[in-house]
Amino acid sequence: MTATNVRRAASASSPPAASATGAGSGDGPDALRGLDLVGCRPILAGPTEVTFPLRPGDRALVAAGDAIVAGTTIAERLRDARIVELAPGVASDTAAPGDRWMVAGEAAVRLRRGHGAEAGELLYQRDGHWALAAGEHTEPVECPLAGVVRDVRPGIGIRVRAQGRALLGVEALGDPTSGRLSLGGERSDQRHGRLRSTSLDVGLAGTILVIGSRVDAEALTRARAMGVRGVVVSGLAGKERRDFMASESRQRAALHRLQPFAVLVLDGAIRRPIAGPVAAVLERLAGATVAISVDPPALIFDEPALAIDPPPADHVRVRTGEHAGDEGRWAGLAGVRRFAGGTFLEAGWVVFGDEAPVSIPIADLERFA
Amino acid sequence: MTSDPRAFLALDLGAATSSAALIGRIEHRWRLIGSLAVPASSSADGLVVELIRRVGAADPALAGAIGLAGDDGTIDSVRLAAELPRLAARSAPPRTILVCAVTSRALGPLAAAARATGWRVREATLDASDPFELTARLLDRDVDVVLVGAGDPPGADERRQLGELAAIVTGAVSRRPDLTVILAGALNEHLDRIESSSGERTGELLLAPAAAAGEPAGSALRQLLDEIRGGADDPRRAAGRAVGALADVLDRRVELIEIGFDAGLRATASPGIGGSDAVATVSIVADAGLVPPESTDATVDRVLAWSTMPLDRHRLRDRLRELRLWPWSGIVGDGARLRLAAARAAMTILVEATPDQSALPAPDLVVVAGGAFAVAPGPAVALAIADVLRRPGAITLAQDHARLLGTIGVIPDAIERRQALIDLVDDLLTPLGSIVVPGGIRAGASAGRLTVHAGTGSSDTNLVPGGLEVVDLPPGETATAEFAFRDTVRLGTRGRHFAVDVSGGLGGLLVDLRDVPLRLPERMDRRRELLDAWQESLWLTRDR
Repeated sequence: MTATNVRRAASASSPPAASATGAGSGDGPDALRGLDLVGCRPILAGPTEVTFPLRPGDRALVAAGDAIVAGTTIAERLRDARIVELAPGVASDTAAPGDRWMVAGEAAVRLRRGHGAEAGELLYQRDGHWALAAGEHTEPVECPLAGVVRDVRPGIGIRVRAQGRALLGVEALGDPTSGRLSLGGERSDQRHGRLRSTSLDVGLAGTILVIGSRVDAEALTRARAMGVRGVVVSGLAGKERRDFMASESRQRAALHRLQPFAVLVLDGAIRRPIAGPVAAVLERLAGATVAISVDPPALIFDEPALAIDPPPADHVRVRTGEHAGDEGRWAGLAGVRRFAGGTFLEAGWVVFGDEAPVSIPIADLERFA
Repeated sequence: MTSDPRAFLALDLGAATSSAALIGRIEHRWRLIGSLAVPASSSADGLVVELIRRVGAADPALAGAIGLAGDDGTIDSVRLAAELPRLAARSAPPRTILVCAVTSRALGPLAAAARATGWRVREATLDASDPFELTARLLDRDVDVVLVGAGDPPGADERRQLGELAAIVTGAVSRRPDLTVILAGALNEHLDRIESSSGERTGELLLAPAAAAGEPAGSALRQLLDEIRGGADDPRRAAGRAVGALADVLDRRVELIEIGFDAGLRATASPGIGGSDAVATVSIVADAGLVPPESTDATVDRVLAWSTMPLDRHRLRDRLRELRLWPWSGIVGDGARLRLAAARAAMTILVEATPDQSALPAPDLVVVAGGAFAVAPGPAVALAIADVLRRPGAITLAQDHARLLGTIGVIPDAIERRQALIDLVDDLLTPLGSIVVPGGIRAGASAGRLTVHAGTGSSDTNLVPGGLEVVDLPPGETATAEFAFRDTVRLGTRGRHFAVDVSGGLGGLLVDLRDVPLRLPERMDRRRELLDAWQESLWLTRDR
């Protein structure tokens, strides 16, 4: 038993009472009633803690409390880590797992595993022998943003409290990176556009491109080859994601790597334009230096003077369905309604432009704060 | 509020869905007045306010009778939302456990215990990975708990490397004071070593019995893992408790199947005999969530096997990813069918993960719950259950439409919990109908005849092997179904003539004459056609 009023589908085209009175003006408590049932998505997050993962053997070059600027090398990543067992008594009595060990006159002794090493990270001790994570080749881990190191945990990660604000996405692929934000792709249509590989040139080197709704793996690969540092896109299809990840994996295996490159996905896997309020932020940031962090997936920028006004309280966006990507004004609750496919869903009235209100499932809507 | 409230709110705050139910006291009995569910990203307070407002608008007299109206007869839903007592169940966030052992033989039962208690399980053995890789996995930030175990006494294949395994775990654990570590079986002997190297810890160090300990085997470890994972107000654990009480209240064997965002639940309970408590077995399987966090090829294959939509693998993967990101979105059109296909795939995993529960006697009542079934019509849900739970027998099917079982299970006192269920049982279960699945039907033109004697009259149906027969039997109506089979079949017992008491529901009486287990064509297009033909007749509200 529910206390829900079910209205017949035949009335779906009829404007609701709210639209005739309050929704047109878009203000007043009645017009906004039920709006808090619509999921809220924050456009910007405040100070964000960005994590750079470390594996055993990686060497942190910063300490907790250090203030760092963008581009600081915060760690050395061991490419070919292996286990070496040390002879008894080589490490000090106070040594603990996670400590660095360096040869001090004595050579590392090969016991059952590994070759000798001159330095490494202590992993565990057994029967008086320390096991060491060591390797020959390292590569630098750069922090693409300014901030303060909050925590350094050998073998686990480095947490940096980023300076500035963050525009959150749902996923980021690749390595953290930074660059000048450019409204790329088909510039006439930043929200809906797609990136074609033929539209890329070296003039975009060093930039983070805002693409719009769609990008394919070929364009991503070419963008990286052209020196582009990152891409911001609304949706990345599973196939393109898989192909890009395979390409990324090959890049990591290569001895001479290109610059870090990241893809920030704002919405999901299907094609839809970038949300208006998010696009407005990106437009304001055009030309500024921004960073893409992978954990959490976000675009981070330090522009304290940049004022960003939130959208009107009744501004809603349709996430999926027939009106996917459309944005309009909330015009009140519509109750449970019947939709295509024979499902009955809680709905709300939404006004698109000057058109009559349309009922949209509440779960397909999102608002911004 | 008075000291003797006449209404309270039951909230189920899940990972994907927030649900609120208003319970009122009417004529000395608690009744479900109304309920509302919205995506979890919505405001829970807004949900409660809207529910109270709707109750007031729909029936002011009823609202007044349960104390919602003020002295002037008005209903201040905002004030009431803040003041009404709340009984809340809140989903525990999904947690990851790394199960370590020397050999895969020793690892198997440990991992099985973790899988049955709602953990996202990762596995590592010293045999299959080198110490560096094992250390890296122990240090992974996504791992919340480590379960390290060995037999008690350890097997011959374990003894030689137990010391090394303990050393590796000690080294990793000393770096992660936040990590909860469980030592099972013979690893208990290494507690001192790990404890002395750990320094100040925020995570716990726990000793657990060996994987095979307890009666039935493994129950002791399962109980410990269950307690560590979820809090007392986790709705899945609570629903498991409520199912035991429900079996007692109804005096029937009950099975609860819940497919949620982060896990699936299978709880089976038999009523207590001679004043004893009900016997309940509860399994929570993280892999049986609606859509896993990463849609692998195996996930896509499982859903594709039940899909009636002509989608290629890439598009289906994208749809599943969207479903994971925004679980309530995209239901319009074929979204509800996609959810039900994903729910069937999840139920398959759930059933495969709980063979001991499948071996129990068939339940009298199956209750379905969870967001996976929330938007599909009752008959389609009934068919989904019949597709996956293929046991010869007759069951009654119902739905926990207001998500109350989890909330009622939160009541700590077993007697109060039982009393609440006695009051609410008629309201909280929506009857979906009855399903009769005879086993051992042979191919032919006819398998026999069915005569249904209901209060409104009798109907006679020819039973066609391999098909589905739906008999219209509305909710609240009971009937006797008389089966006269041509050959001997299994329906509880073996025989040719059966009389089964059935009850009606949104899906009526579904007689399933398909194979047990279900056999489907290998070719995808034929399989899709067949599934679509079966579903077409039951998706009554679908646009045509």
